[in-house]
Amino acid sequence: MIEAELIEKRTAKDYGLFKFKLKEKLKDPDAGQFVMLKSPDEPILAKPFSIYSYKNRKLTLFIKRVGRLTGKVFSSPIGEVFYVRGPYGIPYIKKIDRDKKYILIGGGSGVAPLNFFSELYPELVYKKLYGFKGRYIRELFEEQSSLVIEEESGKTVVDVLREVYSEGLGVLACGPIPMLKTLPPGSYVSLESVMGCGIGTCKSCAVKTKEGIKMVCKDGPLFRKEEIQWEWI
Amino acid sequence: MGVDLSVEVLGLKFKNPLVLASGPAGFGFELQQYLDISKVGAITLKTVTLNPREGNAPPRLVDTHGGIINSIGLQNPGIEEFVNIIAPKLKEIRTIKIGSIAGFTIEEWKILGEKMDKIKDIKAIELDLSCPNVEGKKIWAKDEELTQEAIKAVRESTDKPIIAKLAPDVTDIVKVAKKAVNAGADALSLGNTIEAMRINIETGLPVLKLKTGGLSGPSIKPITLARVFRVAEALEIPIIGIGGVMNWQDALEYAMAGASLVGIGTAIMVNPQAPLEILQGIESFLRQKGVEKFEDIIGIAHRGGF
Repeated sequence: MIEAELIEKRTAKDYGLFKFKLKEKLKDPDAGQFVMLKSPDEPILAKPFSIYSYKNRKLTLFIKRVGRLTGKVFSSPIGEVFYVRGPYGIPYIKKIDRDKKYILIGGGSGVAPLNFFSELYPELVYKKLYGFKGRYIRELFEEQSSLVIEEESGKTVVDVLREVYSEGLGVLACGPIPMLKTLPPGSYVSLESVMGCGIGTCKSCAVKTKEGIKMVCKDGPLFRKEEIQWEWI
Repeated sequence: MGVDLSVEVLGLKFKNPLVLASGPAGFGFELQQYLDISKVGAITLKTVTLNPREGNAPPRLVDTHGGIINSIGLQNPGIEEFVNIIAPKLKEIRTIKIGSIAGFTIEEWKILGEKMDKIKDIKAIELDLSCPNVEGKKIWAKDEELTQEAIKAVRESTDKPIIAKLAPDVTDIVKVAKKAVNAGADALSLGNTIEAMRINIETGLPVLKLKTGGLSGPSIKPITLARVFRVAEALEIPIIGIGGVMNWQDALEYAMAGASLVGIGTAIMVNPQAPLEILQGIESFLRQKGVEKFEDIIGIAHRGGF
Protein backbone atom coordinates (compact mmCIF):
# COMPACT_ATOMS: atom_id res chain seq x y z
CA MET A 1 0.00 0.00 0.00
CA ILE A 2 1.05 3.58 -0.61
CA GLU A 3 1.84 5.87 2.30
CA ALA A 4 -0.49 8.88 2.33
CA GLU A 5 0.34 11.83 4.54
CA LEU A 6 -2.47 14.21 5.47
CA ILE A 7 -1.27 17.65 4.38
CA GLU A 8 -4.45 19.75 4.33
CA LYS A 9 -7.90 19.56 5.87
CA ARG A 10 -10.96 21.77 5.78
CA THR A 11 -14.05 20.66 7.60
CA ALA A 12 -17.59 21.93 8.06
CA LYS A 13 -19.45 19.94 10.67
CA ASP A 14 -19.73 16.37 9.30
CA TYR A 15 -18.18 17.04 5.86
CA GLY A 16 -14.55 17.67 5.03
CA LEU A 17 -12.01 17.98 2.25
CA PHE A 18 -8.79 16.13 3.00
CA LYS A 19 -5.64 16.35 0.93
CA PHE A 20 -3.04 13.60 1.14
CA LYS A 21 0.46 13.55 -0.29
CA LEU A 22 1.25 10.08 -1.61
CA LYS A 23 4.68 8.50 -1.52
CA GLU A 24 4.13 6.93 -4.93
CA LYS A 25 1.86 8.08 -7.70
CA LEU A 26 -1.47 6.46 -8.45
CA LYS A 27 -1.63 4.75 -11.81
CA ASP A 28 -3.71 6.92 -14.17
CA PRO A 29 -6.61 7.72 -11.84
CA ASP A 30 -9.79 8.69 -13.67
CA ALA A 31 -13.12 10.11 -12.60
CA GLY A 32 -15.42 7.59 -10.94
CA GLN A 33 -12.55 5.50 -9.65
CA PHE A 34 -11.91 5.09 -5.95
CA VAL A 35 -9.07 4.32 -3.60
CA MET A 36 -9.10 2.04 -0.58
CA LEU A 37 -8.03 4.10 2.44
CA LYS A 38 -6.58 2.35 5.48
CA SER A 39 -5.77 3.58 8.94
CA PRO A 40 -2.42 2.32 10.32
CA ASP A 41 -4.31 0.47 13.08
CA GLU A 42 -8.05 0.17 13.74
CA PRO A 43 -10.29 -0.34 11.88
CA ILE A 44 -8.35 -3.09 10.15
CA LEU A 45 -10.36 -2.96 6.95
CA ALA A 46 -9.58 -0.42 4.23
CA LYS A 47 -12.60 1.57 3.01
CA PRO A 48 -13.45 2.87 -0.45
CA PHE A 49 -13.44 6.61 -1.21
CA SER A 50 -14.08 8.17 -4.60
CA ILE A 51 -11.35 10.44 -5.85
CA TYR A 52 -12.42 14.09 -5.50
CA SER A 53 -9.25 15.42 -7.09
CA TYR A 54 -5.77 14.18 -7.96
CA LYS A 55 -2.69 15.97 -9.20
CA ASN A 56 1.04 15.35 -8.77
CA ARG A 57 0.74 12.68 -6.10
CA LYS A 58 -1.72 14.86 -4.19
CA LEU A 59 -5.01 13.11 -3.57
CA THR A 60 -8.07 14.94 -2.27
CA LEU A 61 -10.99 13.08 -0.76
CA PHE A 62 -14.37 14.56 0.15
CA ILE A 63 -15.50 12.68 3.21
CA LYS A 64 -18.58 12.56 5.37
CA ARG A 65 -18.01 11.51 8.95
CA VAL A 66 -19.95 8.29 9.51
CA GLY A 67 -17.89 5.65 11.25
CA ARG A 68 -14.59 4.79 12.85
CA LEU A 69 -12.31 5.35 9.87
CA THR A 70 -13.90 8.62 8.76
CA GLY A 71 -13.96 9.73 12.42
CA LYS A 72 -10.25 9.08 12.58
CA VAL A 73 -9.57 11.09 9.42
CA PHE A 74 -11.55 14.02 10.88
CA SER A 75 -9.68 13.98 14.17
CA SER A 76 -6.23 13.47 12.63
CA PRO A 77 -3.71 16.29 12.82
CA ILE A 78 -1.83 17.41 9.70
CA GLY A 79 1.08 15.03 9.16
CA GLU A 80 -0.87 11.89 10.12
CA VAL A 81 -0.04 8.94 7.88
CA PHE A 82 -2.67 6.70 6.27
CA TYR A 83 -2.35 4.10 3.51
CA VAL A 84 -4.05 3.91 0.14
CA ARG A 85 -4.23 1.46 -2.72
CA GLY A 86 -5.93 1.81 -6.07
CA PRO A 87 -7.33 3.34 -8.15
CA TYR A 88 -10.05 0.75 -8.64
CA GLY A 89 -13.36 0.63 -10.48
CA ILE A 90 -14.22 1.45 -14.08
CA PRO A 91 -13.81 5.13 -15.01
CA TYR A 92 -17.13 6.81 -15.83
CA ILE A 93 -15.79 7.83 -19.21
CA LYS A 94 -15.52 4.20 -20.27
CA LYS A 95 -19.21 3.59 -19.59
CA ILE A 96 -21.03 6.74 -20.63
CA ASP A 97 -22.11 7.98 -24.04
CA ARG A 98 -19.46 10.56 -24.95
CA ASP A 99 -21.68 12.31 -27.45
CA LYS A 100 -23.93 13.72 -24.75
CA LYS A 101 -23.63 16.52 -22.27
CA TYR A 102 -24.39 15.66 -18.67
CA ILE A 103 -26.14 17.11 -15.71
CA LEU A 104 -24.08 15.99 -12.73
CA ILE A 105 -26.28 15.19 -9.76
CA GLY A 106 -24.50 14.78 -6.44
CA GLY A 107 -25.99 14.08 -3.05
CA GLY A 108 -23.76 14.64 -0.01
CA SER A 109 -20.44 12.85 -0.28
CA GLY A 110 -21.60 11.61 -3.69
CA VAL A 111 -20.29 14.93 -4.98
CA ALA A 112 -16.71 13.59 -4.79
CA PRO A 113 -16.42 11.63 -8.08
CA LEU A 114 -18.50 14.23 -9.93
CA ASN A 115 -16.04 16.94 -8.99
CA PHE A 116 -13.19 14.89 -10.44
CA PHE A 117 -15.28 14.25 -13.56
CA SER A 118 -15.93 17.96 -14.08
CA GLU A 119 -12.21 18.67 -13.63
CA LEU A 120 -11.19 16.08 -16.25
CA TYR A 121 -14.06 16.38 -18.73
CA PRO A 122 -15.47 19.93 -18.50
CA GLU A 123 -16.62 19.71 -22.12
CA LEU A 124 -19.08 16.95 -21.19
CA VAL A 125 -20.69 18.88 -18.34
CA TYR A 126 -23.94 20.75 -18.97
CA LYS A 127 -24.71 21.62 -15.35
CA LYS A 128 -23.68 20.65 -11.86
CA LEU A 129 -26.19 20.17 -9.07
CA TYR A 130 -24.63 19.32 -5.75
CA GLY A 131 -27.24 18.75 -3.09
CA PHE A 132 -26.85 19.22 0.65
CA LYS A 133 -29.22 19.75 3.56
CA GLY A 134 -27.49 22.52 5.51
CA ARG A 135 -26.06 25.86 4.38
CA TYR A 136 -22.87 25.33 6.43
CA ILE A 137 -21.54 23.33 3.47
CA ARG A 138 -20.95 26.63 1.61
CA GLU A 139 -17.75 27.08 3.64
CA LEU A 140 -16.17 24.15 1.82
CA PHE A 141 -16.88 25.03 -1.81
CA GLU A 142 -15.57 27.85 -3.95
CA GLU A 143 -18.06 27.13 -6.72
CA GLN A 144 -21.17 28.24 -4.86
CA SER A 145 -23.44 28.20 -7.92
CA SER A 146 -23.42 24.40 -8.12
CA LEU A 147 -24.82 23.99 -4.63
CA VAL A 148 -28.45 23.16 -4.04
CA ILE A 149 -29.16 23.64 -0.36
CA GLU A 150 -32.43 22.32 0.96
CA GLU A 151 -32.32 24.54 4.03
CA GLU A 152 -32.16 27.64 1.81
CA SER A 153 -34.48 26.91 -1.09
CA GLY A 154 -36.60 24.07 0.20
CA LYS A 155 -35.59 22.19 -2.93
CA THR A 156 -33.62 19.03 -3.43
CA VAL A 157 -31.35 18.32 -6.39
CA VAL A 158 -34.07 16.13 -7.82
CA ASP A 159 -36.53 19.07 -7.74
CA VAL A 160 -34.02 21.27 -9.56
CA LEU A 161 -33.22 18.52 -12.03
CA ARG A 162 -36.89 18.44 -13.07
CA GLU A 163 -36.68 22.17 -13.86
CA VAL A 164 -33.51 22.02 -15.96
CA TYR A 165 -33.71 18.58 -17.56
CA SER A 166 -34.53 18.28 -21.21
CA GLU A 167 -34.52 15.42 -23.66
CA GLY A 168 -31.09 14.69 -25.11
CA LEU A 169 -29.20 15.53 -21.96
CA GLY A 170 -27.52 12.82 -19.93
CA VAL A 171 -27.68 12.42 -16.17
CA LEU A 172 -24.66 11.28 -14.18
CA ALA A 173 -25.45 10.85 -10.51
CA CYS A 174 -23.89 9.77 -7.25
CA GLY A 175 -25.65 9.95 -3.92
CA PRO A 176 -28.09 8.20 -1.60
CA ILE A 177 -30.19 5.35 -3.01
CA PRO A 178 -33.57 7.14 -2.55
CA MET A 179 -32.21 10.00 -4.66
CA LEU A 180 -30.89 7.70 -7.38
CA LYS A 181 -34.20 5.86 -7.62
CA THR A 182 -36.11 9.01 -8.59
CA LEU A 183 -33.88 9.90 -11.56
CA PRO A 184 -35.17 9.80 -15.14
CA PRO A 185 -34.75 6.64 -17.22
CA GLY A 186 -31.37 6.36 -18.89
CA SER A 187 -29.52 8.03 -16.01
CA TYR A 188 -26.13 6.75 -15.05
CA VAL A 189 -25.94 6.05 -11.33
CA SER A 190 -22.76 5.60 -9.33
CA LEU A 191 -23.34 3.24 -6.42
CA GLU A 192 -21.90 3.28 -2.95
CA SER A 193 -21.36 -0.01 -1.17
CA VAL A 194 -19.65 -1.56 1.80
CA MET A 195 -16.53 -3.15 0.35
CA GLY A 196 -13.94 -5.59 1.58
CA CYS A 197 -11.19 -5.85 -1.02
CA GLY A 198 -12.11 -3.29 -3.69
CA ILE A 199 -10.79 -5.53 -6.48
CA GLY A 200 -13.61 -7.98 -7.12
CA THR A 201 -12.50 -11.01 -5.18
CA CYS A 202 -14.29 -10.95 -1.81
CA LYS A 203 -17.86 -10.53 -3.11
CA SER A 204 -18.93 -8.11 -0.39
CA CYS A 205 -20.30 -5.28 -2.56
CA ALA A 206 -22.90 -7.23 -4.48
CA VAL A 207 -25.57 -5.53 -6.55
CA LYS A 208 -28.29 -7.39 -8.39
CA THR A 209 -28.67 -6.43 -12.02
CA LYS A 210 -30.65 -7.68 -14.99
CA GLU A 211 -27.59 -9.73 -15.91
CA GLY A 212 -27.23 -11.25 -12.46
CA ILE A 213 -25.07 -10.40 -9.48
CA LYS A 214 -22.36 -7.82 -10.12
CA MET A 215 -19.72 -6.27 -7.92
CA VAL A 216 -19.83 -2.51 -7.39
CA CYS A 217 -16.02 -2.40 -7.08
CA LYS A 218 -15.09 -4.26 -10.24
CA ASP A 219 -18.12 -3.98 -12.54
CA GLY A 220 -19.11 -0.48 -11.34
CA PRO A 221 -19.38 1.79 -9.56
CA LEU A 222 -21.35 3.23 -12.49
CA PHE A 223 -24.44 1.47 -13.81
CA ARG A 224 -27.46 2.36 -15.91
CA LYS A 225 -30.39 3.05 -13.65
CA GLU A 226 -32.44 0.38 -15.47
CA GLU A 227 -29.82 -2.31 -14.95
CA ILE A 228 -30.26 -2.29 -11.19
CA GLN A 229 -32.80 -4.36 -9.29
CA TRP A 230 -33.36 -1.71 -6.66
CA GLU A 231 -35.53 -3.77 -4.31
CA TRP A 232 -32.58 -6.10 -3.63
CA ILE A 233 -30.24 -3.36 -2.39
CA MET B 1 22.17 -19.43 2.71
CA GLY B 2 18.44 -19.37 2.11
CA VAL B 3 15.89 -20.82 4.46
CA ASP B 4 13.90 -23.76 3.09
CA LEU B 5 10.26 -22.74 3.41
CA SER B 6 8.83 -25.74 1.57
CA VAL B 7 6.36 -28.08 3.23
CA GLU B 8 5.66 -31.66 2.17
CA VAL B 9 2.25 -32.78 3.18
CA LEU B 10 -0.74 -34.60 1.59
CA GLY B 11 1.68 -36.08 -0.93
CA LEU B 12 2.26 -32.60 -2.32
CA LYS B 13 5.23 -30.28 -2.13
CA PHE B 14 4.15 -26.76 -1.20
CA LYS B 15 6.84 -24.18 -1.99
CA ASN B 16 5.99 -22.41 1.25
CA PRO B 17 3.39 -22.77 4.01
CA LEU B 18 1.11 -19.93 2.93
CA VAL B 19 -2.30 -20.85 1.55
CA LEU B 20 -4.78 -18.30 0.30
CA ALA B 21 -7.80 -19.37 2.33
CA SER B 22 -11.09 -20.07 0.59
CA GLY B 23 -13.24 -17.00 0.11
CA PRO B 24 -11.58 -13.62 -0.26
CA ALA B 25 -9.22 -14.80 -3.00
CA GLY B 26 -12.08 -16.01 -5.20
CA PHE B 27 -10.81 -18.32 -7.94
CA GLY B 28 -7.63 -16.25 -8.10
CA PHE B 29 -8.26 -14.55 -11.46
CA GLU B 30 -8.96 -11.04 -10.16
CA LEU B 31 -6.46 -11.31 -7.35
CA GLN B 32 -3.58 -12.24 -9.61
CA GLN B 33 -3.65 -8.76 -11.12
CA TYR B 34 -2.57 -7.50 -7.70
CA LEU B 35 -0.59 -10.40 -6.28
CA ASP B 36 1.84 -12.84 -7.90
CA ILE B 37 0.00 -15.97 -6.79
CA SER B 38 2.90 -18.19 -7.92
CA LYS B 39 4.72 -16.89 -4.83
CA VAL B 40 2.30 -18.53 -2.38
CA GLY B 41 2.20 -22.22 -1.47
CA ALA B 42 -1.37 -22.82 -2.57
CA ILE B 43 -4.77 -21.31 -3.13
CA THR B 44 -7.96 -22.81 -1.80
CA LEU B 45 -10.58 -21.72 -4.30
CA LYS B 46 -13.88 -20.12 -3.44
CA THR B 47 -16.41 -22.71 -2.29
CA VAL B 48 -18.57 -24.22 -5.01
CA THR B 49 -22.06 -25.64 -4.40
CA LEU B 50 -24.13 -27.94 -6.57
CA ASN B 51 -26.41 -25.16 -7.82
CA PRO B 52 -25.40 -21.57 -8.57
CA ARG B 53 -25.88 -19.20 -5.63
CA GLU B 54 -26.41 -15.45 -5.73
CA GLY B 55 -25.31 -15.06 -2.15
CA ASN B 56 -27.04 -12.91 0.45
CA ALA B 57 -28.53 -9.47 -0.06
CA PRO B 58 -26.34 -6.58 1.08
CA PRO B 59 -25.02 -5.36 3.40
CA ARG B 60 -22.81 -8.45 3.50
CA LEU B 61 -19.95 -7.00 5.48
CA VAL B 62 -19.44 -4.88 8.56
CA ASP B 63 -16.33 -4.13 10.53
CA THR B 64 -15.84 -4.42 14.25
CA HIS B 65 -12.99 -4.01 16.70
CA GLY B 66 -10.21 -6.34 15.68
CA GLY B 67 -12.04 -7.88 12.79
CA ILE B 68 -14.79 -7.98 10.22
CA ILE B 69 -18.09 -9.81 10.05
CA ASN B 70 -19.16 -11.14 6.66
CA SER B 71 -22.26 -12.84 5.37
CA ILE B 72 -21.46 -13.31 1.70
CA GLY B 73 -23.45 -16.54 1.60
CA LEU B 74 -21.39 -18.75 -0.73
CA GLN B 75 -21.93 -16.71 -3.91
CA ASN B 76 -20.68 -19.02 -6.66
CA PRO B 77 -21.54 -20.14 -10.20
CA GLY B 78 -22.37 -23.75 -9.23
CA ILE B 79 -20.45 -26.92 -10.01
CA GLU B 80 -21.43 -27.20 -13.71
CA GLU B 81 -20.09 -23.78 -14.64
CA PHE B 82 -17.08 -24.41 -12.41
CA VAL B 83 -16.24 -27.62 -14.25
CA ASN B 84 -16.94 -26.29 -17.76
CA ILE B 85 -15.74 -22.69 -17.62
CA ILE B 86 -13.57 -22.07 -14.55
CA ALA B 87 -11.61 -25.32 -14.33
CA PRO B 88 -10.10 -25.13 -17.84
CA LYS B 89 -8.64 -21.73 -16.95
CA LEU B 90 -7.15 -22.79 -13.63
CA LYS B 91 -3.74 -23.47 -15.15
CA GLU B 92 -3.31 -19.68 -15.33
CA ILE B 93 -3.10 -19.74 -11.54
CA ARG B 94 0.44 -20.94 -11.03
CA THR B 95 0.37 -22.57 -7.64
CA ILE B 96 -1.22 -25.63 -6.07
CA LYS B 97 -5.00 -25.41 -6.38
CA ILE B 98 -7.22 -26.82 -3.66
CA GLY B 99 -10.89 -27.07 -4.61
CA SER B 100 -13.56 -26.21 -2.04
CA ILE B 101 -17.04 -27.68 -1.99
CA ALA B 102 -20.14 -27.39 0.18
CA GLY B 103 -23.04 -29.80 0.01
CA PHE B 104 -26.50 -29.25 1.43
CA THR B 105 -27.22 -33.00 1.55
CA ILE B 106 -25.13 -36.17 1.63
CA GLU B 107 -26.03 -36.79 -2.01
CA GLU B 108 -24.72 -33.33 -2.93
CA TRP B 109 -21.43 -33.94 -1.12
CA LYS B 110 -21.02 -37.11 -3.14
CA ILE B 111 -21.75 -35.45 -6.50
CA LEU B 112 -19.48 -32.50 -5.72
CA GLY B 113 -16.69 -34.88 -4.74
CA GLU B 114 -17.04 -36.79 -8.00
CA LYS B 115 -17.00 -33.63 -10.11
CA MET B 116 -13.94 -32.22 -8.34
CA ASP B 117 -12.19 -35.55 -8.60
CA LYS B 118 -12.18 -35.29 -12.39
CA ILE B 119 -10.48 -31.87 -12.53
CA LYS B 120 -6.79 -32.43 -13.17
CA ASP B 121 -5.68 -29.02 -11.85
CA ILE B 122 -7.30 -29.62 -8.46
CA LYS B 123 -4.76 -31.35 -6.21
CA ALA B 124 -6.83 -31.65 -3.06
CA ILE B 125 -10.43 -31.04 -2.01
CA GLU B 126 -11.48 -28.99 0.97
CA LEU B 127 -14.89 -29.66 2.47
CA ASP B 128 -16.47 -26.44 3.66
CA LEU B 129 -18.34 -27.99 6.58
CA SER B 130 -18.46 -24.79 8.56
CA CYS B 131 -19.70 -21.74 6.61
CA PRO B 132 -22.08 -19.94 8.98
CA ASN B 133 -23.65 -17.72 6.34
CA VAL B 134 -26.35 -19.66 4.58
CA GLU B 135 -29.88 -19.21 5.87
CA GLY B 136 -31.53 -22.49 6.79
CA LYS B 137 -28.42 -24.55 6.06
CA LYS B 138 -27.03 -26.69 8.81
CA ILE B 139 -23.45 -26.20 9.83
CA TRP B 140 -22.15 -29.72 9.38
CA ALA B 141 -19.05 -29.20 11.49
CA LYS B 142 -21.11 -28.33 14.57
CA ASP B 143 -22.20 -31.93 14.79
CA GLU B 144 -19.59 -34.68 14.74
CA GLU B 145 -21.96 -37.27 13.27
CA LEU B 146 -22.87 -34.99 10.35
CA THR B 147 -19.20 -34.16 9.88
CA GLN B 148 -18.44 -37.85 9.63
CA GLU B 149 -21.24 -38.56 7.14
CA ALA B 150 -20.27 -35.73 4.81
CA ILE B 151 -16.60 -36.73 4.77
CA LYS B 152 -17.48 -40.38 4.17
CA ALA B 153 -19.61 -39.41 1.17
CA VAL B 154 -16.77 -37.47 -0.42
CA ARG B 155 -14.22 -40.11 0.55
CA GLU B 156 -16.13 -42.62 -1.55
CA SER B 157 -16.11 -40.30 -4.55
CA THR B 158 -12.44 -39.35 -4.76
CA ASP B 159 -8.89 -40.51 -4.14
CA LYS B 160 -7.60 -36.94 -3.99
CA PRO B 161 -6.55 -35.72 -0.56
CA ILE B 162 -9.53 -34.48 1.48
CA ILE B 163 -9.26 -31.53 3.84
CA ALA B 164 -12.10 -31.07 6.32
CA LYS B 165 -12.68 -27.43 7.22
CA LEU B 166 -14.02 -27.45 10.76
CA ALA B 167 -15.79 -24.81 12.83
CA PRO B 168 -13.79 -23.36 15.70
CA ASP B 169 -16.91 -22.56 17.72
CA VAL B 170 -17.75 -26.05 19.00
CA THR B 171 -17.66 -27.46 22.50
CA ASP B 172 -14.97 -30.06 21.88
CA ILE B 173 -12.88 -29.55 18.76
CA VAL B 174 -10.77 -32.65 19.38
CA LYS B 175 -13.87 -34.84 19.35
CA VAL B 176 -15.00 -33.44 15.98
CA ALA B 177 -11.46 -33.67 14.60
CA LYS B 178 -11.19 -37.34 15.56
CA LYS B 179 -14.45 -38.15 13.81
CA ALA B 180 -13.27 -36.29 10.74
CA VAL B 181 -10.03 -38.24 10.61
CA ASN B 182 -11.80 -41.55 11.17
CA ALA B 183 -14.18 -40.75 8.34
CA GLY B 184 -11.26 -40.36 5.97
CA ALA B 185 -10.05 -36.76 6.11
CA ASP B 186 -6.37 -36.47 5.18
CA ALA B 187 -5.97 -33.02 6.73
CA LEU B 188 -7.96 -30.49 8.74
CA SER B 189 -8.48 -26.80 8.17
CA LEU B 190 -8.91 -25.08 11.53
CA GLY B 191 -11.02 -23.16 11.40
CA ASN B 192 -13.58 -20.83 9.89
CA THR B 193 -15.25 -17.58 10.87
CA ILE B 194 -17.14 -17.50 14.17
CA GLU B 195 -20.83 -16.58 14.26
CA ALA B 196 -21.13 -12.90 15.14
CA MET B 197 -23.25 -9.82 14.57
CA ARG B 198 -23.61 -6.08 15.03
CA ILE B 199 -26.68 -4.00 15.68
CA ASN B 200 -27.17 -0.46 14.42
CA ILE B 201 -28.29 1.39 17.54
CA GLU B 202 -29.94 4.16 15.48
CA THR B 203 -32.31 1.78 13.71
CA GLY B 204 -32.34 -0.88 16.40
CA LEU B 205 -31.75 -3.50 13.70
CA PRO B 206 -28.96 -5.91 12.76
CA VAL B 207 -26.45 -4.30 10.40
CA LEU B 208 -26.16 -7.33 8.14
CA LYS B 209 -29.15 -8.23 6.00
CA LEU B 210 -28.73 -11.88 7.04
CA LYS B 211 -28.68 -10.57 10.67
CA THR B 212 -25.63 -12.62 11.64
CA GLY B 213 -22.38 -13.41 9.89
CA GLY B 214 -18.94 -14.80 10.52
CA LEU B 215 -16.21 -12.96 12.41
CA SER B 216 -12.70 -13.06 11.01
CA GLY B 217 -9.52 -11.11 11.58
CA PRO B 218 -7.09 -10.60 14.46
CA SER B 219 -9.74 -10.93 17.18
CA ILE B 220 -10.33 -14.62 16.43
CA LYS B 221 -6.68 -15.60 16.13
CA PRO B 222 -6.04 -16.56 19.76
CA ILE B 223 -9.23 -18.63 19.78
CA THR B 224 -8.44 -20.61 16.62
CA LEU B 225 -4.81 -20.92 17.64
CA ALA B 226 -5.86 -22.78 20.78
CA ARG B 227 -7.98 -25.14 18.67
CA VAL B 228 -4.99 -25.87 16.44
CA PHE B 229 -2.84 -26.48 19.50
CA ARG B 230 -5.39 -28.86 21.07
CA VAL B 231 -5.89 -30.89 17.89
CA ALA B 232 -2.17 -31.08 17.14
CA GLU B 233 -1.64 -32.32 20.68
CA ALA B 234 -4.22 -35.08 20.30
CA LEU B 235 -3.89 -36.23 16.69
CA GLU B 236 -1.28 -37.00 14.05
CA ILE B 237 -2.90 -35.13 11.17
CA PRO B 238 -1.73 -32.26 8.99
CA ILE B 239 -3.43 -29.00 9.92
CA ILE B 240 -4.00 -25.82 7.94
CA GLY B 241 -4.23 -23.08 10.56
CA ILE B 242 -6.69 -20.38 9.46
CA GLY B 243 -7.94 -17.45 11.47
CA GLY B 244 -6.78 -13.86 11.74
CA VAL B 245 -3.30 -14.20 10.30
CA MET B 246 -2.38 -10.59 9.55
CA ASN B 247 1.42 -10.72 9.73
CA TRP B 248 4.40 -13.09 9.87
CA GLN B 249 4.30 -13.35 13.63
CA ASP B 250 0.74 -14.69 13.47
CA ALA B 251 1.75 -17.24 10.81
CA LEU B 252 4.64 -18.45 12.97
CA GLU B 253 2.37 -18.84 15.99
CA TYR B 254 0.12 -21.16 14.01
CA ALA B 255 3.08 -23.19 12.78
CA MET B 256 4.50 -23.51 16.26
CA ALA B 257 1.09 -24.61 17.57
CA GLY B 258 1.14 -27.43 15.03
CA ALA B 259 -0.11 -26.14 11.69
CA SER B 260 1.83 -27.40 8.66
CA LEU B 261 0.24 -24.79 6.43
CA VAL B 262 -1.17 -21.38 7.28
CA GLY B 263 -4.22 -19.83 5.63
CA ILE B 264 -4.64 -16.16 4.86
CA GLY B 265 -8.06 -14.66 4.30
CA THR B 266 -8.94 -11.33 5.85
CA ALA B 267 -5.39 -10.01 5.38
CA ILE B 268 -5.79 -10.42 1.61
CA MET B 269 -8.83 -8.15 1.69
CA VAL B 270 -6.97 -5.52 3.65
CA ASN B 271 -3.87 -5.71 1.46
CA PRO B 272 -3.56 -8.08 -1.51
CA GLN B 273 0.22 -7.97 -1.14
CA ALA B 274 0.13 -9.18 2.47
CA PRO B 275 1.30 -12.76 1.71
CA LEU B 276 4.59 -11.52 0.27
CA GLU B 277 5.31 -9.41 3.35
CA ILE B 278 4.44 -12.38 5.58
CA LEU B 279 6.79 -14.69 3.66
CA GLN B 280 9.66 -12.23 3.94
CA GLY B 281 9.05 -11.90 7.66
CA ILE B 282 8.99 -15.66 8.21
CA GLU B 283 12.17 -16.13 6.24
CA SER B 284 14.16 -13.46 8.04
CA PHE B 285 12.92 -14.63 11.45
CA LEU B 286 13.98 -18.21 10.75
CA ARG B 287 17.35 -17.08 9.44
CA GLN B 288 17.91 -15.04 12.58
CA LYS B 289 16.98 -18.03 14.72
CA GLY B 290 19.34 -20.25 12.72
CA VAL B 291 16.50 -22.50 11.58
CA GLU B 292 17.24 -24.01 8.16
CA LYS B 293 13.85 -25.54 7.42
CA PHE B 294 10.38 -24.16 8.12
CA GLU B 295 9.21 -27.72 8.77
CA ASP B 296 11.45 -27.83 11.85
CA ILE B 297 9.28 -25.32 13.69
CA ILE B 298 5.93 -27.00 12.95
CA GLY B 299 4.53 -28.01 16.33
CA ILE B 300 7.64 -26.84 18.21
CA ALA B 301 5.39 -25.61 21.04
CA HIS B 302 4.62 -29.28 21.79
CA ARG B 303 8.30 -30.23 21.88
CA GLY B 304 9.71 -27.82 24.43
CA GLY B 305 10.17 -24.86 22.09
CA PHE B 306 13.52 -23.64 20.81
